[in-house]
Amino acid sequence: MSDLIKVKQQGEARCEGISYQDLLDDEKIEVPSYLRENTNPYMGNEDIDVARWISRDFHEQEKIKLWPKVWQMTCREEDIPEVGDHHIYEVVDQSIIVTRTGENQIKAYINSCLHRGRLLRDCDGHVKEFVCPFHGSTWDINGQFKGIPCKWDFSHLDQKDMSLPQVKVGTWGGFIFINFDENSIPLEEYLSPLPEHFARFPLHDYYKGAHVQRVVQCNWKVGAEAFMESFHTLETHSEILTFTGDANSQYDTFGDHVSRSVTPMGIASPHLPNVTEAETMRDILELSGRMATDSAEGHEMPEGLTARTYVAETNREMFSEIIGESLDDATKSELEDAILYMLFPNTQVWTGYHGNIVYRFLPNGDDHNSCVFETMILMRYPKGTKRPDPAKKNILRPDQAFSEAPEIGGLGPVFDQDDSNMAAVQKGMLASKKGAVSLASYQESRIRHLHQTIDKYLKA
Amino acid sequence: MTTKTDTLIPAADITDNQSVAVILEGKNILICRTNGEYYAVDNQCTHQRASLTEGRIRNCFLSCPLHGVRFDLRTGKPIGELTKVPLKTYGIIVSDDGNLHIELD
Repeated sequence: MSDLIKVKQQGEARCEGISYQDLLDDEKIEVPSYLRENTNPYMGNEDIDVARWISRDFHEQEKIKLWPKVWQMTCREEDIPEVGDHHIYEVVDQSIIVTRTGENQIKAYINSCLHRGRLLRDCDGHVKEFVCPFHGSTWDINGQFKGIPCKWDFSHLDQKDMSLPQVKVGTWGGFIFINFDENSIPLEEYLSPLPEHFARFPLHDYYKGAHVQRVVQCNWKVGAEAFMESFHTLETHSEILTFTGDANSQYDTFGDHVSRSVTPMGIASPHLPNVTEAETMRDILELSGRMATDSAEGHEMPEGLTARTYVAETNREMFSEIIGESLDDATKSELEDAILYMLFPNTQVWTGYHGNIVYRFLPNGDDHNSCVFETMILMRYPKGTKRPDPAKKNILRPDQAFSEAPEIGGLGPVFDQDDSNMAAVQKGMLASKKGAVSLASYQESRIRHLHQTIDKYLKA
Repeated sequence: MTTKTDTLIPAADITDNQSVAVILEGKNILICRTNGEYYAVDNQCTHQRASLTEGRIRNCFLSCPLHGVRFDLRTGKPIGELTKVPLKTYGIIVSDDGNLHIELD
């Protein structure tokens, strides 16, 4: 546990009023130590050059020094449940076949035929062996070369290692990660302290209830950064301020690869002084998209109860019913707050007992001015019942709104509001005369953290 | 004109994620079952005319055993780059006597 535990508001450097740690003091249940962590070392206040988001040169540096070195989330284990099932993971100009080779074994091969270089697999699917569709070179599921037609013409290959080249694979929380760098640090070390912080949320037991993808016209970092601070709630999502403690949020960084924001929910924004508890309760149920119900109909708050407590207890009851397990040891915070972690460089995961959101931003092929945004919702299912099949990916066209994906419910309209900024940020940066952005010291500290870690890779 | 072929095979003879190939009026047709529903498609991959008889079926998708092209059994549409041509699909029903009937054009 950190020495900084229970550091409260830090003078003028934080928003006036109640802090997230104050709210934890109000919990009736023992607060787990990961929520008491409060670590935000000062990282500087310098402007950041827009070249990091808009220049081809910066993209080329990321191509050489970032993507080949980092652990990156490819898909869920449940996406490839049977031996021979595979997912094609593509990043910039690289292509990997992530395939199940045994009940508990997954391998990742470079997706390129060792004969003439054609992609061995064009898309996700299932095969019993990898047969190149061009001339028929064949490998078994374990990557061992089985042969090529007209073997008499290839005696010069007899002495060569014809096994399919592999990249490193690791798993956590039901996610499959790969790393191109054979000398990388182990995944466990890279992820720390994520597994410890998610101990109460066994994501490997969750199933993928929704998966939506769309191209967004901005650099992948502009996309990721849209979800790394709650400061934008005031102007971008003003309709949720009645139940979102935007400026009360806590922002943490943990080492180089993990950061977190905790935005208290079920309390009104400090920007809105005169909201009643009843209004907070009604709006969070109607608009949040993350609560156990999406309607406030029939919900009357008992006298003396706060909206934060009432909504947490409603969630506790309904989530327990859905998952068939007691949630008696869950704090109000865990039952309703927006507790969102980022795993460097491009994956973000929410905590929670049911309906955990995941985001991933990848460059759109080799284009640095657009990215592929994916969101998944991980769900629980009653203990002892069969795990539901994972949702098929719903790929929206670039001109479609996220609200056209009914499976993400209330998140769709929120994403549409974020989407209204993302492409405009990219265009605005291209037009910028200032040539730099200025970040908030605290509320946008996770963005500075992301860029400082990127620099560590680019300068390594 | 639509012809109904009577008494094809008992629906119960096919279990989930299995298929049976039949020849009807000279056409090689693959009858598939997935998620409790029955589908009938031409038993010939539109990529290289391979037989789909041994193809794996999961969640309404049939994978060609040769290069793994996946076809959506509901629409016949392929996924991926190897072929853009959909599989021909046929209407299929389970009659009151428990047998499958196919609609051939």
